[in-house]
Amino acid sequence: MSERVATVIKPVLASRRRLPAGREVLLLATLAVLVGLISLGSHGAFWSRVNLDNLFVGSAITVIPAIGMTVVILTGGIDVSTGSVLGLTAAIGGTCFAAGWSLAATVPIFLASGAVLGLINALLIINGRIPPVIATLGTLSIYRMLVFIVLGSNWITAIPPALTTIFVVDHLLFLPVVAVIALVFLIGAALFLRHFRWGRHVYALGNNEEAARLAGIRPERIKLAAYVMLGLLTGFAALLTLGQSPMVQTSTGSGFVLQVIAAVVLGGTALSGGRGTMLGTLLGTLVVQVVDDGIVLLRIQPFWGGVALGAVILAAIGLSAHHEIRGA
Amino acid sequence: MSRVELAGIAKRFGGVVALAGVDLAIAPGETHALLGENGAGKSTLIRVLTGAIVPDDGEIRVDGGVRRFAHPKDARAAGIAAVYQEPMIYPHLSVLENIFAGNEITLRGGMIRKAAMAERVRPWFARLDLSDDLLDRPMGRLSLGYQQLVLIAKALTQEARVIIFDEPTSILSQSETDRLFAIIRRLREDGRAIVYITHRLDEIGKIADRVTVLTDGRVTGAARADELDETKLLALMAGKASRNYGKPRPDRKPATETPPAFEIKGLCRGNLYRDVDWSVPAGRVTGVYGLVGSGRSEVALAAFGALPPDRGEIRLNGARIAPRDPAEAIARGIGYLPEDRKSQGIFATKPLEANLTASALFRFVHAASRLDFGGLRGEAARLIGRYRIKARDETIAIGTLSGGNQQKALFARWAGQSMKLLILDEPTRGIDIGTKDEIHDFIRELAASGLPVVVISSDLPEVLAVSDRVIVMRRGRVVTVAEGDAMHAEAILAAAVGTHARAA
Repeated sequence: MSERVATVIKPVLASRRRLPAGREVLLLATLAVLVGLISLGSHGAFWSRVNLDNLFVGSAITVIPAIGMTVVILTGGIDVSTGSVLGLTAAIGGTCFAAGWSLAATVPIFLASGAVLGLINALLIINGRIPPVIATLGTLSIYRMLVFIVLGSNWITAIPPALTTIFVVDHLLFLPVVAVIALVFLIGAALFLRHFRWGRHVYALGNNEEAARLAGIRPERIKLAAYVMLGLLTGFAALLTLGQSPMVQTSTGSGFVLQVIAAVVLGGTALSGGRGTMLGTLLGTLVVQVVDDGIVLLRIQPFWGGVALGAVILAAIGLSAHHEIRGA
Repeated sequence: MSRVELAGIAKRFGGVVALAGVDLAIAPGETHALLGENGAGKSTLIRVLTGAIVPDDGEIRVDGGVRRFAHPKDARAAGIAAVYQEPMIYPHLSVLENIFAGNEITLRGGMIRKAAMAERVRPWFARLDLSDDLLDRPMGRLSLGYQQLVLIAKALTQEARVIIFDEPTSILSQSETDRLFAIIRRLREDGRAIVYITHRLDEIGKIADRVTVLTDGRVTGAARADELDETKLLALMAGKASRNYGKPRPDRKPATETPPAFEIKGLCRGNLYRDVDWSVPAGRVTGVYGLVGSGRSEVALAAFGALPPDRGEIRLNGARIAPRDPAEAIARGIGYLPEDRKSQGIFATKPLEANLTASALFRFVHAASRLDFGGLRGEAARLIGRYRIKARDETIAIGTLSGGNQQKALFARWAGQSMKLLILDEPTRGIDIGTKDEIHDFIRELAASGLPVVVISSDLPEVLAVSDRVIVMRRGRVVTVAEGDAMHAEAILAAAVGTHARAA
């Protein structure tokens, strides 16, 4: 039977090989069409400096955790607690700011709390043997409640203006500094996935965990690294979020995970693991952000933004399911 | 007249011939035992009989009329039902719901008529000595033995006139087995035809009226059960093994006392295996033969760190080891080719190159541990050439290759490295004869180069063909170690199935 399947699938795979980046090309085309429509509809406002900077800052803040999310999903897992991790890290860091800590002293707090929250997720999944969706659904709720406990009924607005200046206002190579940082991270992650043993092990793990274990790969170590890295990157994104809008409230970060996962899945990463690229994640993020941006520019009522995001996710999952049926 | 008759049934899966023209007549009021090794074609034959697969060639006649089973429901309509080794159940549904799953008696509009369904089952429950109280219990709460009886009741409610039992006793206790046999006799007396698949010879005398032996997809022996004794049965079953492979290979090493390179002493784990000793010399192939459930793979997994033992000793080249995971075992020089290619071996959508080098990446790195792609491609090309893997190039996804070439690739993953011990679990399961022979040659070459090699297999001809000595396991224990002239098919088979007969 497998032989028959193989002969059917062979031509399909072969044709896909001639277009090695089929998914990426499709995303680029989608992006071009969206940008075209939006610039027409907005009479060129899309191309204004302010709008582009906004778009790039928003994309950077999404894509940085999306790098970690891509790796987590590649291993065959998922983390739905990212929005709460972002909220809780922002609340902890914001509390430090409110207590008068300097920016330099607080940055490590953001990174460390993000990493610790990621570590808790990893331990629940690895040592607690709880399926990733369930484990992180649990921490999604717990972390969010902790935001309420940390913040009480207050908003934190005492964010150092330097944060905004350094990351969002200042430019490097015509891009906001955050965007440059995000690009460096993306390229680093892409190279790491491709050029190091660890990257191959990530793909192998997502492809077939039992086979990976019997081939001498230690699944626990890779998963641990993946979830902690996602937490760390989310902690960094929390810092950047405060640079973008200098306020922490109890709802900070809620709904964020949806954007991140949508970007990753839209970028072609299979939810079943083992397949996906960083380039795909970048393009997926840009599509999500451009849709968001277009809603604002075209003065469509904001709730349509949610509808559009949902539609984009459905389209992506649909595509990915179609993809998997053909490629299985 | 036969109730069901198969004539010239043939089925191929790609290059593998599963059935090569099987004739079989199943008569009412008779228990027909089907014997054969793993891979002999028994399962394929059942799947043909139950309509799960359509044969490439041949005829199925029911009560004399030619029938075509294109779908399981066709076979069900013809009164054929099967009770499988591992009961297929819905554990959270009640017994009654299990019996009628997909086949409920309903009012117009879909309302379930529970009372009517219970009414339909009751006489059959009585026939099987089952209490009606069981009907409302969740299926998952029942013991395996009872689950099996419920599935028999299900077959009876569907008016089955031919009931196929696929190794039904392998999961049953002695008393459950006795009860099952009593029921099978009762069903036979009702005039039903029973097909009974087993590889336990001791059951034949107790239950069978007629015996058919299947080897490599062909009927290689048929007899009335009362004409057979154990010796004849063994000869019948081992027939091919002693014919084709009886003579030792020209390069088979004579029995000598060599110090073991790899040694297991008193290994135990729960009820999987007990007090297992293996002694594996360097430069030889040591076969481990046993039926499914004999504990052979579990012992290998213990040595590989994948399923640690409760107690006992593992020594490699004299040093005691206790690997905690496969990564540690590999670092110590142990390679293990897993039993199940698909679920434990390949990364299906990954390129052939990544599959070949998955356990050797550490050897192909530049400074700063960057991967050396040139080196990896070169190594992949070398292995593809060395082990004659048929693939366009090393970038093709391994999942698109034939089973035989996938297996060669997994073999090459280990054989291509310098290990201190190789354990090959079912190295040729489900692949074509040509590739099988090639892999056997590769295994001999590995041993000839001085490596200790363990070949675990439930394929007797394979064990006889590649091994210099054979360890036989049965129900979690080592029962015999055969070497040199003692390595003949009947003796090994007898030890593995647990009879006392020793055919000459």
